[in-house]
Amino acid sequence: MKKWLSIFFVLILLTTLQLSWPVSLSFFNTKPDFLLIFVVSLVFYFNFKIALILAILAGLLKDAFLPSGMAMNTILFSVWSYLTFRLSSQISTENNYVRLGIILIIAVLNNTVLGVQNLNSGNYIPAGIFLRNLLISSVYTGAVSPLIFKLTKKISA
Amino acid sequence: MFKLSRKTVINFVLLVCAVFLISAFSPFFKNSAQKTFQSHLSLIGLLKRECAGIIFYHRNMVEFARLNNETENLRRRIFDLREVEQENTRLKGLLSFKQKSSLRLVAARVIARSPDSWSSSVIIDKGRYNGIRPGMAVINTQGLVGRVMESAEGSSKILLVNDPSQGISSIVQRSRQEGLVNGSLGPNLIMRYLPVDAQIAAGDIIITSELSQVYPKGLLVGKVINIGKEFSGLSRYAVVKPAADLSGIEEVLVIIP
Repeated sequence: MKKWLSIFFVLILLTTLQLSWPVSLSFFNTKPDFLLIFVVSLVFYFNFKIALILAILAGLLKDAFLPSGMAMNTILFSVWSYLTFRLSSQISTENNYVRLGIILIIAVLNNTVLGVQNLNSGNYIPAGIFLRNLLISSVYTGAVSPLIFKLTKKISA
Repeated sequence: MFKLSRKTVINFVLLVCAVFLISAFSPFFKNSAQKTFQSHLSLIGLLKRECAGIIFYHRNMVEFARLNNETENLRRRIFDLREVEQENTRLKGLLSFKQKSSLRLVAARVIARSPDSWSSSVIIDKGRYNGIRPGMAVINTQGLVGRVMESAEGSSKILLVNDPSQGISSIVQRSRQEGLVNGSLGPNLIMRYLPVDAQIAAGDIIITSELSQVYPKGLLVGKVINIGKEFSGLSRYAVVKPAADLSGIEEVLVIIP
């Protein structure tokens, strides 16, 4: 029970942080995706079923505060959670650098899918801003991921 | 490496279907989620403002002195303009012009920002309870900010003008040249579909046109900073710097029609 409470507390904390991330800490108008890091880190430290349920919940929470009507993040988060689980059963993900690499790849893929979906819905995004959102946002997500990993490890203990 | 069994695929398809069903009922979830987060987001906003006030004390002091000076100048101008206004009213009466009703505004505070980098939106602390409905235009003291996308009981989601899904029918104030202003997720907006011989130049003021069904006519959108030719060569585009500082926006005014 205590573990579940801690997980929900962290989920609310990260959502709040995501929504009220200070403008002064945003690089080129991009911010790290705390919820994505949390979703992936849950696979490393928790049972897959719990990680998947929380991935859906985190995706729904993120979608609730976005202007688009489609639950894109809910689907993507569950897909990344599943793929990370499959990958962690094939390779060793004990090393922190490997985890960092996984987060970076997932962040790039997640941003690519969201960006392409945005373009596909007829929106005009200049190439420079597309690349900026794709790369800087992913690197920023990767850079802050060790902190979220530590937090997830702490609540899993 | 990723050999998927039939059972796994079926389970995953079922999961995706479940997610789509959840998204179909998402207005209920969205409202509940926004309601849950509203109170502590307001509190965090308050704390952030207070902290910024302490950290930037010297800057605020200099700004206060400058604004005080400006207020004095403006007070003098208001006195002069009051005379002009009275004259204007008298002349309008003489010409039998219909008095245009003034805009009804609801002031609100920004309590959260878009959780990702692919959209540009904010959440404000006023909602349906305060008469705010989807589609209403949002401004601040500097100019146009965006429009209401969704409204919950005590909060609303505002799509900012620099979101790529925004399209604002606008005109150049000087030449009345029409165009469509789109957001680009960056700090500037793009005015598109301008003819090659369009009467537009850097420094021109862009305002909303009367063709817009969402925004009232004459709201300040921004200033032209650059002009270019579209890739096709058939039309031109203008880069517009929004009048409102969208990255540091804290208070907004919702126009109630």
